[in-house]
Amino acid sequence: MDVTSPILEVKNLTVEYSAETNSVLAVDRVSLQLGRHEFLGLVGESGCGKSTLCFALAQLLSPPADVIDGEVVFNGRNLIHMRDTALRHIRWRELSVVMQSAMNALNPVLNIGAQMTDAMQAHERISKKMARARGGELLRMVGIDPIHLDSFPHQLSGGMRQRAMVAMALVFTPELIIMDEPTSALDVVAQRSLMAQIKALQREFGFAVIFVTHDMSLVGRFSDRLAIMYAGQIVEQAATRDLFRDPKHPYSRGLLQAFPSIYGPKQKLQGIPGRPPDLRFPPGGCRFHPRCPAVMDICRKEEPGEYAPGGDDLVRCFLYAREEVEHSKLHTVR
Amino acid sequence: MVYQPATIEETVAATPGPASWRGALTHLGSVVTRNRKALVGMILLAIFTLMAIFAPLIAPYDPNGANFLPSQAASPSHLLGTTSDGKDIFSQLVWGAQQSLLVAVLAGLFATVISVLIGVAAAYIGGTMDYTLGVFTDVFLVLPALPLMIVIASYFKGSGATVIIFVIVITSWSYGARQMRAQALTLRNREFLESARVRGERTPYIIVFELLPTMISLIMAIFLGAAVYAVLTAAALQFIGLGNPEEMSWGTMLYFAENNEALNVGTPLWAIAPGLCIALLGAAFALLNYAFDEMGNPALRARGRKRGRHVSHS
Amino acid sequence: MEARGLTKHFRVGGLFSRRYLHAVDDVDLTIYPREIVALVGESGSGKSTVARLLAKVYQPTRGEILYRGQPVTSLRGRQTRDYRTRVQMVFQDPYSSLNPVYPAAHGLLRALTLHRRLRGGKRRKEAEQVLGSVGLQPADEFLRKYPYELSGGQRQRYGFAQALACGPEVILADEPVSMLDVSIRIGILNLMDDLRRREGLSFLYITHDIASARYIADRIMVMYAGQVVETGPVEDVLAHPRHPYTQLLLSAVPDPLAPEIDESQIDLGEPPRVVDPGEGCRFRWRCPHRISECDSVSPRLRIVRPDHQIACHVDIPDWVQPHVQARGVDEPDPGVLPADATFSEP
Repeated sequence: MDVTSPILEVKNLTVEYSAETNSVLAVDRVSLQLGRHEFLGLVGESGCGKSTLCFALAQLLSPPADVIDGEVVFNGRNLIHMRDTALRHIRWRELSVVMQSAMNALNPVLNIGAQMTDAMQAHERISKKMARARGGELLRMVGIDPIHLDSFPHQLSGGMRQRAMVAMALVFTPELIIMDEPTSALDVVAQRSLMAQIKALQREFGFAVIFVTHDMSLVGRFSDRLAIMYAGQIVEQAATRDLFRDPKHPYSRGLLQAFPSIYGPKQKLQGIPGRPPDLRFPPGGCRFHPRCPAVMDICRKEEPGEYAPGGDDLVRCFLYAREEVEHSKLHTVR
Repeated sequence: MVYQPATIEETVAATPGPASWRGALTHLGSVVTRNRKALVGMILLAIFTLMAIFAPLIAPYDPNGANFLPSQAASPSHLLGTTSDGKDIFSQLVWGAQQSLLVAVLAGLFATVISVLIGVAAAYIGGTMDYTLGVFTDVFLVLPALPLMIVIASYFKGSGATVIIFVIVITSWSYGARQMRAQALTLRNREFLESARVRGERTPYIIVFELLPTMISLIMAIFLGAAVYAVLTAAALQFIGLGNPEEMSWGTMLYFAENNEALNVGTPLWAIAPGLCIALLGAAFALLNYAFDEMGNPALRARGRKRGRHVSHS
Repeated sequence: MEARGLTKHFRVGGLFSRRYLHAVDDVDLTIYPREIVALVGESGSGKSTVARLLAKVYQPTRGEILYRGQPVTSLRGRQTRDYRTRVQMVFQDPYSSLNPVYPAAHGLLRALTLHRRLRGGKRRKEAEQVLGSVGLQPADEFLRKYPYELSGGQRQRYGFAQALACGPEVILADEPVSMLDVSIRIGILNLMDDLRRREGLSFLYITHDIASARYIADRIMVMYAGQVVETGPVEDVLAHPRHPYTQLLLSAVPDPLAPEIDESQIDLGEPPRVVDPGEGCRFRWRCPHRISECDSVSPRLRIVRPDHQIACHVDIPDWVQPHVQARGVDEPDPGVLPADATFSEP
């Protein structure tokens, strides 16, 4: 397999929730690329479609949600057309998912060890003893005493349950782990330590991560690249450092100004006025225009494309439409 | 602390909930017109209700008047034939609707009221009260219903609908009370109840106007379930001869039909017609119950429309 | 408003259990007029219980609450309602704090009836005015809306509207922004600040987010396992945290401006034991500075800087990030980060 090729390539992915009256495009023409060993932070507010996108990537959508367009190419294979049996083979082994609520994802009547050995034996011929030893090893790696192999989910604290989830995701050392807000139910201290653990494991095993969160400051420290999602679309993609230093899309800018800091001088913040749109009735033109401080006439009428003002970054905003032209000229000159 | 984004799925699935007590009635109306099960149940119920109310106009003869030739087969003058002592079966069937319906509605109502009172009191007051009421409910829950009913009913043998309603209520309220308690417990710590308390509301107001309206679908389900139970139980008690033979009901009709070997003397409709009516009335309540369940639980609806995962490509 | 020795124990287990969860132990607290006090701690620290005790949702096991010098613990009936007129509460979860079967303004209208004896047209007019003052406009439209038609931020504003309708002097705000989207949190914080300025209200702002506490509060109290471990003026506590728990909390705040730290020695963030905790410092199992005294003696609050108290036996020098120093990593002083490090409008 080509090591330089991206591990995941998403093209024009569109997911629809069908409803009797108004169908909702929860994910609207999303394109993404994820390199091997890359840590991508997917940031967005509730209802922006980020969780749906995750489910679509792992092909875990259930009706009424359905992929109606686009491709998800993972390791060179399009998952969209894949049969369930083949998908099952890929999931866990090559791609695993950590859900937001470990309490719902873990089986409450089985102890942690049994759940891990079950998972291993379902995908691999391995003796119970071996599986258990490996389970203990995995728990130790995520910072849990292997004694908890015999614990039931409710006996663990929230932080430990999430760690156990991460351990389960690591059972087959997959190449990509999709994490859907794994830390949002945790306290700050537990949250930070879990993040650090994930990062350390990533360094060790080299898997790629898509980390979904509503909290930009959380992934700021850990991610290589950020994708900002708004109303079903990715509005900006850039290297984390660049995005924090120079956010391009007005929404990203607003997000960065939305949370106070414990450092630096105290200053009055404004947040973003208004509320995210109801996706049953998305606003025409640019979806952010009703809340945008830099709104122009064109934003109300037309939908912006994806522009690349600074090289690799992508911004879905007319403010950069002109630069795009210059940018492409630049390219031809070069 | 727990950040819980509302998923799009929830937003899409969310149908406007019932709004207060008055709103609940309009909600009921919309449920009935939109859901086929509800519609069928409602029509059946309406037919029986009309039958009960207008019995004197619909029934061609006196149901208790032995004025005809016995054991006639169905004919235009006797739509369902006559009994072995010469009474018109169709007239009996029409009049019988009154008591069967009355028993179902009243027994259902009383059982529901007791369930709600005990269940909510246990959950909301909590502590020792919860414990005591819990034990009390459990005792009734494990009572062997059928023998108990037979014992009580035969003790008061022949005293009619009141006793039957009493017996049914006693044996049926406890299950509903358990359900009410369970749901009230999940609601007890909902912040809108604390919010009402902080606002300065008194406990009775909070229970009646804040807590109960949010449980209307469960209350409805308990009522309909109890009504189904009442229809069938009343019929069973009357069938084994524990009803008042003087009062006309479908159960007593079955009792007399059985005693006079209706099936063997060429008047099978004497037994079939009331049996069918009992089944249909029970079904009417049950259909309404299912319909409410579906309205309250979008997951049940979705399963009807779409099956499995299929990927369409456009 | 003042509380002395506020304590609340909950019995855990069955009817005959003798085990008690010490949700709040011996908390003293004072809120002055026009002051915003932040009560900070992790889940299970007892901070929400403090609010519920002050709002008289729970009866305290021990201790006293004084409002303008009058004890309120023993109030009954009419007096309780008068107290509720003055002290109101806003809840955490906007999705469960409005009754789904009524229009969202139901609580607001009831509050006007109960506390201001308003009815009919007058009540309606007043309700519109209150809705306007919390930023729900056009008010007549928001009077009719049902909770399911509203976003989280709007629902939370109804919570404030109901509280305001009583005509309070103090609002106890229990994590009012923690369940809201990042982009609208600031709006609610600014609303609180506004109400303080405009109407002269005091707030107890309960949160687990230290940064937001710094944003609006004057004083801060840090709670751990039911006890106050550090309290003082917010800037002073954040610049010179003395209690090891406060230091841990501060180091965990996700912030792109935070100094780089060594990730391998991080506290796992396990919750404290609060069922029958017994004597001794409750933070000792996680504390890097633990001494033998911590095992046997519960530390009491003592003054370390002007107005600044901690409950700790050990004198830890200013702002030591233990993990950082142990590894000798370069540590920028958080107080002197360049001003351009914050994000200003380009």
